Amino acid sequence: MEVYDIRPMLAPAISLACAGLVFLFGRNKYWRRFWMLSAATLKLVVVMSMLPGSLAGTVYVFEMMEFTPGIGLGFRADALGMFFAAVSSTLWLFTSVYAIGYMKGEGQRVRFFGFFALCISTTVGLAFAENLLTFFIFYEMLTICTYPLVIHDETAEALRAGRKYLIYTLIGGACILVGAVVVYDATGTLTLSRPGIVTTDLSLGTLALMFALLIGGFSVKAAVMPLHGWLPSAMVAPTPVSALLHAVAVVKAGAFGILRTIYNIFGVDVLEEVGFTGALAAIAGFTIIAASLVAIFQDNFKRRLAFSTISQLSYIVLAASLLTPFAATAAIVHIANQAFPKITMFFVAGAIQRKTGKTAVHELAGIGYRMPWTMGAFSVAAMSFIGMPLFAGFITKWYLSLGALETADYWVLVIMVVSSMLNAAYFLPVIYLAFFKISPETSMRVDEASPTLLAPILVCAAYVIVLGATTQVPGMPFSLAEAAVHFVFGM
Amino acid sequence: MDSALAASPVPPAAVFLPLVGVVLSVGLGRVSEQVRTIGLGVVCAATAVLSFWMIPGILDGKVFETYLLRITPTIWLHLRVDALGALFGATVALLWSLALVYSVGYMADGHRLGRYYAFFMMCLSWTLGVAYAGNLLTFLIFYELFSILTYPLVVHEETPAAMAAGTKYIIYILVGGSLVLLAVVFTFFLAGEQTLTAEGLLSADMDRTALLVVFWCYVLGFGVKAAIMPLHGWVPDAHPAAPAPFSAVLSGVMVAAGSFGIMRVVYQVFGVELLEEIGMMPYLAVVAAITIVFAAILAVSQDDLKRRLAYSTISQMGYVALGIGLLGMGSSIGAMVHIVNHAFMKGTLFLCAGLLIKRAGIRNVSEMAGAARRMPVTMAAFALAALGLIGTPPLSGFISKWYLGLGILEVDQPLYLAVLLGGALLAAIYLLPIVYAAYFKKPPAVATEADEEDGREAPLSMLVPTVVASALTLALGLGATLPGLPYSLAEIAVETFFR
Repeated sequence: MEVYDIRPMLAPAISLACAGLVFLFGRNKYWRRFWMLSAATLKLVVVMSMLPGSLAGTVYVFEMMEFTPGIGLGFRADALGMFFAAVSSTLWLFTSVYAIGYMKGEGQRVRFFGFFALCISTTVGLAFAENLLTFFIFYEMLTICTYPLVIHDETAEALRAGRKYLIYTLIGGACILVGAVVVYDATGTLTLSRPGIVTTDLSLGTLALMFALLIGGFSVKAAVMPLHGWLPSAMVAPTPVSALLHAVAVVKAGAFGILRTIYNIFGVDVLEEVGFTGALAAIAGFTIIAASLVAIFQDNFKRRLAFSTISQLSYIVLAASLLTPFAATAAIVHIANQAFPKITMFFVAGAIQRKTGKTAVHELAGIGYRMPWTMGAFSVAAMSFIGMPLFAGFITKWYLSLGALETADYWVLVIMVVSSMLNAAYFLPVIYLAFFKISPETSMRVDEASPTLLAPILVCAAYVIVLGATTQVPGMPFSLAEAAVHFVFGM
Repeated sequence: MDSALAASPVPPAAVFLPLVGVVLSVGLGRVSEQVRTIGLGVVCAATAVLSFWMIPGILDGKVFETYLLRITPTIWLHLRVDALGALFGATVALLWSLALVYSVGYMADGHRLGRYYAFFMMCLSWTLGVAYAGNLLTFLIFYELFSILTYPLVVHEETPAAMAAGTKYIIYILVGGSLVLLAVVFTFFLAGEQTLTAEGLLSADMDRTALLVVFWCYVLGFGVKAAIMPLHGWVPDAHPAAPAPFSAVLSGVMVAAGSFGIMRVVYQVFGVELLEEIGMMPYLAVVAAITIVFAAILAVSQDDLKRRLAYSTISQMGYVALGIGLLGMGSSIGAMVHIVNHAFMKGTLFLCAGLLIKRAGIRNVSEMAGAARRMPVTMAAFALAALGLIGTPPLSGFISKWYLGLGILEVDQPLYLAVLLGGALLAAIYLLPIVYAAYFKKPPAVATEADEEDGREAPLSMLVPTVVASALTLALGLGATLPGLPYSLAEIAVETFFR
């Protein structure tokens, strides 16, 4: 059932308004905080207010204006979009609290928080985009808005990373635009409201071109190898930005774009027939393993997390390209199941850096005694990535395995097991150092980061367990993923 | 046999009560050491009582179950206590209680006690969860939790040797756990149903290759924990490194949890008939036989006492695997009873080894000369358990081996009798010299004087649990067929599995 409702447009608009208010009246830090937190809360409320309806099968739509006949700036909160929007707006609130604590004493805070709000506005905008053009507009805005955040420190390294980021993502964006034009030319529509708009009547060459352009373009932000180069360099950004880039906005926008392309542009039936996704699955499988192998050898804490992100994102891509209901469930829920543990880890990395100035893994010996709650949260997140049952990551693994068995892709099981081992290989040493390696100069006195840093860490870690343990509790976002899968597969 | 299902709050109470102990370990430690001791003692005793509470009902043919939380659309976090689970659960809770009491004395001057007790209690909870798991996913959840969260206990001493053992442990366990996960997912894919009832989940009309893959994933995955050779590598390192009370439960029930998993798979996932058709079990039996003999031979050459005992555990778990592998009713009863009997015998031996280390500084077999003069009670307990392990009547070890022997004859494979006897003979070779040295060899003169003051019996807090565990070796042997003791429960379990 479709209902005309302003809320899908309102949600991005709130963040946009917040950005405006921060830019205009953000000099005073108390006002700035007020705008940030009230906008984040308000937006969460707006998104969550759609949740009961969405769970009951209602789709909220909102049309604004037409650019060309038939294609307008349209918003549509379907189950898949709601899932992504719910994750983003929840994390935005936590990240805002964290950022307020983290950025104390930094320069250019008005610019920082303004663009920060813009980023999340565009993320929710693309989550609710009704058609590919609207999606593309928000996607490109996201690219631009993130740039000032990446180069925030304005060091030579940061500027270099920013340039690299722009080059990668703008080229990716150009591919998407061309892809969208090809799709429009072939089908006469760009809507994302159906389970597939292209048909196999089109020539195989056209289909291959569309697929390559759209998936290739989105893969840049989703950091599928070999297009991942920008992500590790973008680590120079302040930690809240890394957290946002890695867990919510940027990379997930790419992954979400891939999901939209596979499920709403092509549709599973068409892709089943033309079989392009086999190659994509292979590339994603390679990325999962290769990025994990690289991660093992990173001593810089944030770089290690960055490569872990690259590996984890390809879980979404791999699962989506298996084209079965179980695998699709894995792909969608992994948006949340990767986001919460990974943002926890980045928050932890940032808290440690702020508190002790340590940025390398080998310096973390004994940190668990100084910051037990922080490192406890890290351990929870690590267990999730290793795939411990009852933690979020296990859900992904379970559905992905079932999906792989459905299509008899046994190699996916091997990839998954090897990847879990590799996750253990690069996360467990951190826990080991933190809690079990004590040097004589280790301080045994508990000395945690400030509450504004610690509280988001603990809440996100708690979410990791909640997401893993309560998937079947009515009203949890997991049922949105199921609803999305039912829609995509016409079940 | 039609068993009556009874919805009951007892299983979840038993499983989650120890988690209260986790909170107490951290919270009460700040108040005072004694308050914590009392608090944990009460929690542990209550858990043990709950686990025994269900046994009379089980004997009447009841099955207790509780659905806790829906995990996937069709699978719940589901506890279901049948005879086999009740048998293992009661063993776990009792041995844990003894080890906890022992810990109070043993760990008294140790470091980071809060962490030790917290994880000790937490692992009790997870292990009971394994025992009472009603479906494969629940089993997997608790199995992984207890496997991974055991790590802080393995490395508790934080010596370089302990850290190395811990790393080895975690690698073995993660690989094994992944195989079990794959097998569980595969089972769900094939059967769509996971509840562990007496009927097998899988059936003969499924793809044969898939069945074989699932079978070996399970056996290899659980085999790591059950220390089936050649997957046993972590056992000889982890045991000497861990604190003695934890070694006792590690050997007594945690390794056995792997064997317990294999039992669940054999009897309830595949079912006896299907496995007879697939014909893979003879291979398991052969591997088990090799494990029994080789591990025992390796044990003979170990000088480190705890290491020798660890190899003995590998060998004894081979008996369990052999009993399962033969697929006979008698051998299955033997395997189940041996899990329990071995738990208390090996528990005793490790607790004694801890006392020897603590009170007399004896770590190696070669230093045992005259130990019995200094610690007569400890060595008496040790000797009793050692004799039990060798299989001397009327001790409990004899009982389980007797059933195993009967089971071997029942399936008409007398060659395995030679393995059984060979294993017992080797057990005598690696255990009796210790007893002999302790009782009949003269202690070196220097040591006597040096240890005049501290080389005496341990305080009662450590001695009592050791003696109780040792007495259980005798009691489980003498009273073997009394209702409520292992044999009666194993019989009920086997009757349901071999209809």
